[in-house]
Amino acid sequence: MIKIDALTVRFGGIRPLDALEAQFSAPICGLIGPNGAGKTTLLNVLSGFVTPIEGTILLNDAVLLGLSPRRRVSLGLRRTFQQELVVDELTAMENIQAVADHVSADYASARREVASALDFVGLSSRRNVLGRHLNLYDRRMVEIAKTLIGRPKVILMDEPGAGLNEAETEQLRRLLVEIPAAFATQLVLIDHDADLIASVCVETLVLDFGKRLAMGPTRAVLDDPVVRHAYLGRE
Amino acid sequence: MTEIAKADAMRLMVPPEITPGIRAAIIVAVVGVVSAIIAATCGGYWLSNLTQAYCMVIAVLGCALLYGQLGLVTLCQWALVGVGGWVSLRVYHYIHPPFFVTILAGGVGASVIGMIWGLPALRMRGLYLALVTLMLAGAFQTLVFVISFPVGGPGFLGQVGASGNDRINMARPIFAASDTAYFLFVAVVTVLCIFLVEAHRRSKPGRAWALIRKNEQMAVAAGVRIVFYKAWAFALSGFLAGVAGALLAGLFGQLDASAFPTTNSIVIFIGTLLGGYDVWLGAFLGGILTRFIPALLIDLNVNTNVGFMLFGAALLFALRDPLGLGGQLTILAERLYGKFQAQRAS
Repeated sequence: MIKIDALTVRFGGIRPLDALEAQFSAPICGLIGPNGAGKTTLLNVLSGFVTPIEGTILLNDAVLLGLSPRRRVSLGLRRTFQQELVVDELTAMENIQAVADHVSADYASARREVASALDFVGLSSRRNVLGRHLNLYDRRMVEIAKTLIGRPKVILMDEPGAGLNEAETEQLRRLLVEIPAAFATQLVLIDHDADLIASVCVETLVLDFGKRLAMGPTRAVLDDPVVRHAYLGRE
Repeated sequence: MTEIAKADAMRLMVPPEITPGIRAAIIVAVVGVVSAIIAATCGGYWLSNLTQAYCMVIAVLGCALLYGQLGLVTLCQWALVGVGGWVSLRVYHYIHPPFFVTILAGGVGASVIGMIWGLPALRMRGLYLALVTLMLAGAFQTLVFVISFPVGGPGFLGQVGASGNDRINMARPIFAASDTAYFLFVAVVTVLCIFLVEAHRRSKPGRAWALIRKNEQMAVAAGVRIVFYKAWAFALSGFLAGVAGALLAGLFGQLDASAFPTTNSIVIFIGTLLGGYDVWLGAFLGGILTRFIPALLIDLNVNTNVGFMLFGAALLFALRDPLGLGGQLTILAERLYGKFQAQRAS
C-alpha cells in the first residue's frame, strides 16, 4: 500500500504536484489525468528520481522519501517507463536476467524467477531472440517481465499499452489483471486508455495541474462529471 | 538505400546461435592462424612491430569495452599503457618477480589509475569526458618526461643518472627469450585478454553495462549500482592497457618517455572505431592497423605524419559504417555459417 501525504514538487515556478494527498490500497490502482497533470512526476517521486520540497510517502509503513532509488528497489518498488527500454543487443531472457542479477536473492532464485516471468508474459519460446528482433508487444512484455523479478511489492507502470493495437491491448489487459494474485504485489497503472483503466483498475486517482481531482472506485471516478470535463473533455 | 540503412538492415538479420565454446574456438583459431603466419614469415623489424601491434590490440580491447559497453569516450588509453609499463618496470627492478607477476602488477597498477581517471565519467559523458581524459593523457606525457621510466637505479624512480651505463633491461621469460617466441607469448596473452573481455560482456557486468548504456534511470530502477559498474569498466579497461604496457616493457627491456605521446591515445580510439567496438574481431583488427600503418610508412620511407592523414580519412569510413571492419566481417561470417547450417539441415 502506498500512502501519500501533502506531497509538493516544485520545478522553478511550476508545481507539478501540489499538496497531493492519496492512498493506493487496491490490488490494481489507476492514475490518470490530462497531459502535464503530474502523473509521471508522481512516479518519478515514488521511484526516487525527483525530490519533493515537502510531504511524506509511505510504502507499507516504510518511509520512502530520503531513500535512494536503489534502496527503494530493494524494498520491492519496481517500475516501467513511458518509452520501452529493451536492450537491443541482449536477448529477451538476458534483458530480464539483467534485472534478476541485482534484485534476486541468489543465482538459483534468479533463474527460477526469470523462467517464471518469461512464462507469465508468454515469451518462453522467444527467450533467446535478441531485443532488436522483438516486436513492440514483445518488447512491452519484456518490460513487464522485468518488474516481476525479486518479489516486487508495488509495480508502477507508465503507459504499458502505448502503441499497442486493440488485440494486443486486450492481451495486455488480461495479463495485468492476473499480476497481483500471481506475484503477490500491487499494481499502479498510468495510461491514457480510459477503457483499459476502467476494465483493470479497482480504484483510480485523477490528477489535474498537480492536484487531486478525484479518487475512488474507478467506475464512479470516470463517471464523475468534474473528471469527465477535465480529463475526457465532455460532461 | 543509404549506407546507414544498409548497416541497420544487416544488424537486423537474425544471426545463428553461437555457443560460448564455439566462440572461444573461433577466437583461438583466428588469432592462432594469423599469429602462426606472422611467426613463420616475419622477422626483425616486422616481427617487432607486429608484437607491438598485438599490444595495441590489448589496449584497443579496453577502449572498445568502454565505448561499446558504456558509450564512454576516453582518450587516455595510451597513457594507461605507459602507466602499466612504468609499474611493471618498477616492480621488476624492485623484486625481480616471475614475468607473469610483472604483467599482473602492470595491469593492476594501470587498473587503479584507470579507475581514478574514470571518476569524471560519473558526472560527464561524450565530448567533456573525452577532453578531460585527453588532458590526463597530456599530464601523463609531461610527468613521464620528467620522471622517465625505471631502469634499475636506486630510489623510487629507479634512475641511474645521465650516463645510462648501468641501465638494466627487464628480462623476458625463459621460454620466450627469442623474438619469435616472445611474439607467440604475446599472442597467447592477447587471446586470454579477449577471453576476459568476452566473459565480462556475456555475464552479470556485461548485462549491467548494457542497461546503463541504454538508460541510466532504467538501470537504477533495475537495482544496478551505476558507480560500481562504471568503475569496474574503467578498472578492466585500465588493466588491459597495463598488461599491454608490461608486454611492451618486456619486448624492449625498457621504455622511453618519448614513445608515449598524447596523440597515440587518439589513434587508439580511431583504431577502436575503425575495427568496430561491438565485437572482439574489431579490436583485433583495429589494434593491428594502428601499429601496422605507421610501420609500413616507415618501411616505405614515407613521413609517419601521413599516418594521421590516413587515419583521418579512414575515420570517415568508420562514421559511415558504425559496425567497423570487425563488425562487417563478423556479419559476413555469421551469414556464411547460417547458410552452411541451412544446407546441412536440408
